[in-house]
Amino acid sequence: MTPIDDDASPLDPAESLALIERERANVGRDLSPDPRLMFWPWGIAWLVGFTLFFLRFGPDGRVFVDLPAWLPLAALALLMIAAGITTGIVGSRVSRRVMGPSNRQGAMYGISWSVAFTGFSVLFSQFSNVLPEEEAGLLWAGGMVALTGALYMAGAAIWNDRQMFILGAWTSLINIAGILIGPGWHSLIVGVAGGGGMIAAGLIGWLRLR
Amino acid sequence: MTEQSDPLVTELDPVIHAQARLRVVSALSVLREDDRITFPQLQESLRMTAGNLSVHLRKLEEAGYVEVTKTHHGRTPATLVRLTRRGRLAFDDYTAALRALLNPET
Repeated sequence: MTPIDDDASPLDPAESLALIERERANVGRDLSPDPRLMFWPWGIAWLVGFTLFFLRFGPDGRVFVDLPAWLPLAALALLMIAAGITTGIVGSRVSRRVMGPSNRQGAMYGISWSVAFTGFSVLFSQFSNVLPEEEAGLLWAGGMVALTGALYMAGAAIWNDRQMFILGAWTSLINIAGILIGPGWHSLIVGVAGGGGMIAAGLIGWLRLR
Repeated sequence: MTEQSDPLVTELDPVIHAQARLRVVSALSVLREDDRITFPQLQESLRMTAGNLSVHLRKLEEAGYVEVTKTHHGRTPATLVRLTRRGRLAFDDYTAALRALLNPET
């Protein structure tokens, strides 16, 4: 029996399959946060913040631009706080649309970031006064970037997201390269390649969802 | 009634053959098992009126394809919808049948 109570008549098989795909893509888009809003704030924070670090605290103590010494850290911290607020709001707004295992998963993943960063901060702050300024800076930046890379790779494993894994692996590798090359260069590499990688990830993710 | 006129149509599950219900089930099929979507979000994604969506959900519920639960989000009531295992099976069968109609040889 064909239903007689519907506004639209049945479609042919090809149209039906197209309708199914369209509907699935629509809902998929509605249920995932905009990749631009999830990645670009962090990408910009890294790009601007670490580039300022490089300009003020260059390799071998060089000063490329004579900025106030407090400015790079203040800029990086403010931009990262803004990024955290943005992604927190965007992520929780989307996660409220669904109830069940997947938003519990998302919440656990979000908490992992906060707990891990708190742990690293407490650890590093014990060494800040013991190490020379350059090495202390490298310890903080290198440690946090390593953690970011690892958490992206772990997130990729949770959601089986190859693109996110590439971002995590890329972030980890450029971090290792930067640490080995030394303070100053590390800031430039993380700012341009790390921040740039996140901006690219946001763009690619957005293009795929469109 | 068109039973006698179109043999292809009668092979397909009549519950989700209606375009509106096919859209609802397609949308719900994106959810992972045990995940539930809020009614207002489903309505927004499907661009249907609340009344229209309710009617179709009731039909799908009667067939055992979806489960509608009422709960509380703090103090505001919330209606949540999920595709049952039976509904997912019906959707998979339906899409397989469509593909078979398109490529009879495979």
